[in-house]
Amino acid sequence: MKTQLLPATMKNLPYILVAALIIVSLNSCKKKPQDFTILSGSENLPLEKIVTDFAKKEDFQVKFKYEGSVDIMLELQKNSLKYDAVWPASGIWITLGDQERKVRYAQSIMTSPVVFGIKKSLAKKLGFVGRDIKVSEILKAIREKKLRFMMTSASQSNSGASAYIGFLYAFLGHPEYISSDDLDKPELKKEITDLLAGINRSSGSSAWLKDLYLKGGYDAMVNYEALMIEANQELIRNGKEPLYIIYPTDGMVIADSQLGYIDGGNIKKEDFFKKLQAHLLSEDIQHQLLLLGRRTGFAGELENAPAVVFNPDWGIDPKKILSPIKLPRADVILKALNLYQTVFRKPSLTLFCLDYSGSMMGGNIDQVKKSMEILLDQDLARTYFLQSSPNDITFVIPFAGTILDAWQVAGNNQPDMLSMLAKIRKTKTNGATDIYSPAILALEQIKMIDSVKYITAIILMTDGESNTGKKFADLEEAWKKNARDVPVFLIKFGDASDAQLAQIAELTNGAVFDGRKDLIGAFRKVKGYN
Amino acid sequence: MRGLLIGFGILLLVGGLGVGIWYYLDEKAEVRIKGMIGSEKSSFLENEQVKAILKKKYGIVVDYVRAGSIEMVSEETKADIDFLWPSSQVALEIFKIKQGDKIVRSENIFNSPIVIYSWDIIVNALVKTGIVKKELSTYYVTDMPGMLKMIREGKKWSDIGITQLYGKISVTTTDPTKSNSGNMFAGLIANILKGGDVIVESDLPQVLPELKEFFARQGFMQNTSGVLFEQFLKTGVGQYPLMGGYESQVVEFSRMHQDFWPKVKNQIKILYPVPTVWSEHPLIIVNKKAAVLVDALKDEDIQRIAWEQHGFRTGLMGVQNDPKILLADGVPASVTRIIPMPRAAVMEKIIEALTDGK
Repeated sequence: MKTQLLPATMKNLPYILVAALIIVSLNSCKKKPQDFTILSGSENLPLEKIVTDFAKKEDFQVKFKYEGSVDIMLELQKNSLKYDAVWPASGIWITLGDQERKVRYAQSIMTSPVVFGIKKSLAKKLGFVGRDIKVSEILKAIREKKLRFMMTSASQSNSGASAYIGFLYAFLGHPEYISSDDLDKPELKKEITDLLAGINRSSGSSAWLKDLYLKGGYDAMVNYEALMIEANQELIRNGKEPLYIIYPTDGMVIADSQLGYIDGGNIKKEDFFKKLQAHLLSEDIQHQLLLLGRRTGFAGELENAPAVVFNPDWGIDPKKILSPIKLPRADVILKALNLYQTVFRKPSLTLFCLDYSGSMMGGNIDQVKKSMEILLDQDLARTYFLQSSPNDITFVIPFAGTILDAWQVAGNNQPDMLSMLAKIRKTKTNGATDIYSPAILALEQIKMIDSVKYITAIILMTDGESNTGKKFADLEEAWKKNARDVPVFLIKFGDASDAQLAQIAELTNGAVFDGRKDLIGAFRKVKGYN
Repeated sequence: MRGLLIGFGILLLVGGLGVGIWYYLDEKAEVRIKGMIGSEKSSFLENEQVKAILKKKYGIVVDYVRAGSIEMVSEETKADIDFLWPSSQVALEIFKIKQGDKIVRSENIFNSPIVIYSWDIIVNALVKTGIVKKELSTYYVTDMPGMLKMIREGKKWSDIGITQLYGKISVTTTDPTKSNSGNMFAGLIANILKGGDVIVESDLPQVLPELKEFFARQGFMQNTSGVLFEQFLKTGVGQYPLMGGYESQVVEFSRMHQDFWPKVKNQIKILYPVPTVWSEHPLIIVNKKAAVLVDALKDEDIQRIAWEQHGFRTGLMGVQNDPKILLADGVPASVTRIIPMPRAAVMEKIIEALTDGK
């Protein structure tokens, strides 16, 4: 028996191997879920789990890349095929960005109006509770310095852009539509500049702005109703005062959260997308979204809205018809964003601390130089709505174990910018790392400037652990002594210490950005925060 | 045991081979064609029943990209595109003028009138002003000049008793320079401004200023009617009190959301302008291999599905456009008060003028 079997097995061995191979390969297909990347607004952060849970069942691994809406528009124009789906706060950014018509099946998943949230006691004091409020009344309070507010950058994020357009309508006397010529009116410039000067903190992302508000010390913010609800739920949990939501009758915009598929020709991904979209629009998930403060259902109505979420005490009236303003024509929107960036916005005081320690040598420092080129070379910066205004001030402090130098440019003069860029390029990498000394120097520089006039930020990029020179305690002392709300934004690169960076972010109400995968992207994003 | 394993291995292999051959043959029998279509027809092409008939009976698998009708005929057609399916005769005429030599075959497949979508509170107010009249179960905008006059004079919603809404009265459409429904709306309004006559080129100086103003007042305009209708439904009366679209859109929506439709049925109203214009859906074949699609789409079953589930009127022999089987109310059995669109050359001038306004 045995002698007979053996040759037969040998003969069949190739078949068995093939069969085994098929089984193995089928199994390996099963084990490795396919990647699926969604380019999304940060306000979708709380929904990520709903998406990834569903994806798991379908053998997909969904990754969210969070960007401001304006960046989403730019990405669609430039690199749409890096992503499989797009989910900005408002479909308008898909319309403006999708010039190649790669986006298909775009559908609104939920809606949320862009509103003003004011600390309830202050809203009461201002007489804003329980009645219709016009944009002009809010502006009056700001002008009289009774109200200061936080808002995302209009040239980066949908909520900021929406509010900004609402302001433009109000200042122009509520024309039926805003024309390109309207934007050039000198009186508009004066009024909008005054208003934006009332902003005390800005950011490129609505979710981060909400988190910052929760840290305390602020009175009001512009954000989505959904994020106001999130903020209020947490404020109440912590025994703090909630925000009272104001829907300006003549200056409100509704974000319609469209999710669209980016057609890269992969049938499996397309199929998955359709299932995912149907899942998000299913009754069950729509109800979950409602519980998360998103408006779902049709006709803009809030059916079965639970009062603990859409709480009347916070100024929400589920029965009220939301009557938004009309957005201007596409070309007028883009012109308005450019004007915001170059003329109207509160000027930026930005201090870059750049790590030139030995480990940065080679490709790493080259990426830093490339990033700075995009921000400083005004022709390049313009393509990202990141150009400087004539009133901006930019510092660059190169450091290693010690501070290597410090350069400054006031305004947006291209030759000045390029000459600073040349210095950045020339500086050599060498030595150890001390991240605290440059941050302290930056704070000292700020002290010499009337920083209330600016949205100020220190942007510190490092690839290593601070191992020489000053300590965290020194920075803490300097920051507290400075007594201004100056955030330090940290860009993490290489082997930078998470703990050290997180500690600085916590102290200064800043944030840590991961630059390891995309340093240039991280620099751009950070710059959007002031 | 070993014998069993070997047998299993062979079975797997033979099975695998068989599947491979089957796939191969199946692929062979299929014609895959790619086209550009107006967004309003995408759900129709996604319909599983339609797909099955196309595949089984005609061996066709259709791939498509959505584009505005005017955009798709105006730009140079890409090499991988086998057919175009815009939503108006004007688009076909423009294509003939610009790239006529590419046409292998063209034929009209569906029709749908241009309508104005609205909401109960708006329609009730418009009925009171006498601009809208209800005849049987259908609402007609019998006084289109009156509606345009209100818009021209900058009347606010509150002026006709709708105090819940902010701003002035206007009708939202898609961008008339890119998308068909907006474009047809422009043609319709131009005709009405001429006193209900089809405008010719010499009339343009008289109507263009008001036409430009009508669209300028809308501000940001969507490029496709599908997205606009979707937003209309999602955001409600506050954002879009009046919206120009195709009759077919509501029929399709009511079918696709049958659980939800009863809840909003009484709020959403369809207004038929008097007169209105027909949106026709000519299929333009630019690659011979796609010619089979013409007959396939005229298949009786497909035409029936097109009306019952997607609201496209067909007008073919033997296919009834019976509104009784629809879930949407107020759709008339036939739409008779129609005005032709201006000629393509005139529409091109209008598009040009509206683009200049930017």
